[in-house]
Amino acid sequence: MPERCTYIARSTAIAARALAGEMMVMNSTDSTFFTLNEVATAIFQAADGRTPLRDIVRDRICEQFDVDIEQAQTDAEQFVAELSGHGILLVSSQPLSSDSTRETP
Amino acid sequence: MSLMSEVGQKAFDLGVPIAVHLDVTYRCNERCVHCYLDHDDHGEMTTSEIKGVLDQLAEAGVFFLTFSGGEVFLRRDFFELVEHARRLMFNVKIKTNAVMIHEAEARRLRELGIDTIQISVYSHRAEVHDAITKLPHSFERTINAIRFLREQGLRVTIANVLMTANSSDHAGVQKLAAELDVHYTLDPTITPMMDGDTSVLSLRIPGEELTEVFHNPALVGNQEEFCAPPKPPSEQDLEGYSCSAGHSFCYISPYGDVFPCVQFPLPTGNIRQQKFLDIWNHSPEMKEVRSIQAKDLTTCSSCSHVSSCTRCPGLAYMEGSMRGPSTADCEKSFYRTGVPTANMLQQGLSKPRSTSGNTVPLIQIRPLQIQPIEVQPVEIPA
Amino acid sequence: MAGSQKTACVEIGGIPIALSTSDDRFLDLLRHRYEGFLSASPPEFELEFDLTPAGSVSDDDVRVRRNDGDDEWIIERGDFHARWDPRTGRGRVRQNANPYSLDSVLRILHSLILAERGGFLLHAASAICNGRAYLFSGVSGAGKTTMTRLAPPDITLLTDEISYVRPGGGGYSAFGTPFAGELARAGENCTAPVSALFFLEQGPENRVDVLPCAEAVRRLMRNMLFFAADPGLVERLFATACDFVDTVPIRLLTFYPDASVWDVVRNFAPDFNRNIQGVPEHA
Repeated sequence: MPERCTYIARSTAIAARALAGEMMVMNSTDSTFFTLNEVATAIFQAADGRTPLRDIVRDRICEQFDVDIEQAQTDAEQFVAELSGHGILLVSSQPLSSDSTRETP
Repeated sequence: MSLMSEVGQKAFDLGVPIAVHLDVTYRCNERCVHCYLDHDDHGEMTTSEIKGVLDQLAEAGVFFLTFSGGEVFLRRDFFELVEHARRLMFNVKIKTNAVMIHEAEARRLRELGIDTIQISVYSHRAEVHDAITKLPHSFERTINAIRFLREQGLRVTIANVLMTANSSDHAGVQKLAAELDVHYTLDPTITPMMDGDTSVLSLRIPGEELTEVFHNPALVGNQEEFCAPPKPPSEQDLEGYSCSAGHSFCYISPYGDVFPCVQFPLPTGNIRQQKFLDIWNHSPEMKEVRSIQAKDLTTCSSCSHVSSCTRCPGLAYMEGSMRGPSTADCEKSFYRTGVPTANMLQQGLSKPRSTSGNTVPLIQIRPLQIQPIEVQPVEIPA
Repeated sequence: MAGSQKTACVEIGGIPIALSTSDDRFLDLLRHRYEGFLSASPPEFELEFDLTPAGSVSDDDVRVRRNDGDDEWIIERGDFHARWDPRTGRGRVRQNANPYSLDSVLRILHSLILAERGGFLLHAASAICNGRAYLFSGVSGAGKTTMTRLAPPDITLLTDEISYVRPGGGGYSAFGTPFAGELARAGENCTAPVSALFFLEQGPENRVDVLPCAEAVRRLMRNMLFFAADPGLVERLFATACDFVDTVPIRLLTFYPDASVWDVVRNFAPDFNRNIQGVPEHA
């Protein structure tokens, strides 16, 4: 049975900018403000709505940060759940295109 | 320390321009009595020039972007500019009089994910507001616009600039803000702001009324703390810098001139001739502004208020020296606490000189380089 | 006069004129009509309005005249009657409460004031581009409204109908006016130095041609708004037209009606600042 795919995209309501390696993220609908660490920033930047989360973890996280794939996948899912709860990331089992025109911050 | 102030401090320490105030025009449809701005178009940046500036600002690390003017909606390309800014993922705040915002505009602003819309309201009484703006029915139009924006769930702040004509109306405007479910802020030169974001306006109301404003808990929060006599400055205070102007904040005029702040008309370069980051990183003027510590201040370093004063280096610059005192802030420190400032004592004053209701002229930042038309002599054939 | 007088000061072209009436509704109408042009400046001139019962707006020709040896102007059309004394700066208007008569009276008054000051009103659209004003004149249908409609969003529109020109700063300045044409939108209350005047003609492609001096003056005179058959005034306007042609580049702009015509305007760099003919006319 094929593994279920998760696609993630950045919400259009957010503002984001990198400051010294960390991503500042603000959701304009409720003014919540976050800073993301390097790993979270890498996932956030790769959230183009087209690349499955497990590919992001495999290609961006494991390779760059030298972490175990299973641990990384668990952490990433937790992170994605948290950010989607705040309306920062959109999560879907289908590819998303909402963010395709936006630049990577 | 909140996460936001931590990030602000980090940007300050790293010298990253985290917040920029961009005026897209000085044109305006209101003719406010206290406004000394010249509302002509002396060669505003074009659509593509401003988009280019936004690209550069994103690259420089700017996160908080304020669009202001003039009246921003007089630029017919304003939505195009905002769209571009949001595509670049800025946190966008807009300052406007809102009279051109109807349902469709409000909807578009919501779709674009605007953070806050700050709107000037001078009074809760239409006749007082309209008499200040000189635009008939502007109060009605502005309030309707606020309703449209709120219907879209957008965050709105009413900015209440106080002057003699409306100095007794702040309670009414506060009540109106509560009814409309929007934030309320007094003229930011009175309410200290974390991000160094200052309004274009600086004005004074008579000292006695200022005392009243500063001792009104509804306006200043914890009044006792706000009005407490100054604590003696620590060594750390003396090594501190004043505000974020030039450190993590700057201002860009509709003509592309870059200044440390809206209230600091020290030219540091023009974005039409230089890259933004070149100006930010290498302009000698920016560097000078950045170098000033509290201990370097000519009069204020010995003042008991030095650690708590809202001293604005831009206003000080306009008074003659960016290292000198800013009289307007001396007065505020005095009326807030009742303790005279070093600047006052030096002049032998036990209270500020009477400033009965005068308004300090608005700073006019004119284009620094108006290109003259090339005139070539013509040879007339003999 | 019954009721108390209420005043709105309307400043067009930097000339504040107080308009007063005892009728609240009419006051509201004129404040609406001239919003953006209301001013707190002390008025230079005053017009008092007496309202007559409703009537129609007249298509008659306007008559502007003064009696022999008299300074006072008498301005008349079927729908209004006005008297204005330039010495005292005061005048009185009798009209019904419609905005078109009001516009006409104000335009005529401004044309009289401007004539004395070396300025003029022109049948022309005008706009500010890169801090300089450009005027677009021509007969009805030549493309004034088209030019304004095609203007890119970063162009500041001063008017699509009546341009306001005054000498200043070693040249001429154009001011926005609230007198709307087909766009039915008032211009912006802004001013900028005039960079060029284009006479419009539509054609298959964009091109700019120099106009011979005499032709430029002739076309300018034909498109100026003036109402008085007063020899002194006509002479004054002729002198102004000659000076304007001598100071500001005048061109014939043939344009294909799409947005590219504005690139021509943006890139218009006059080779010289006067309209000198290559070949003398008598040659």
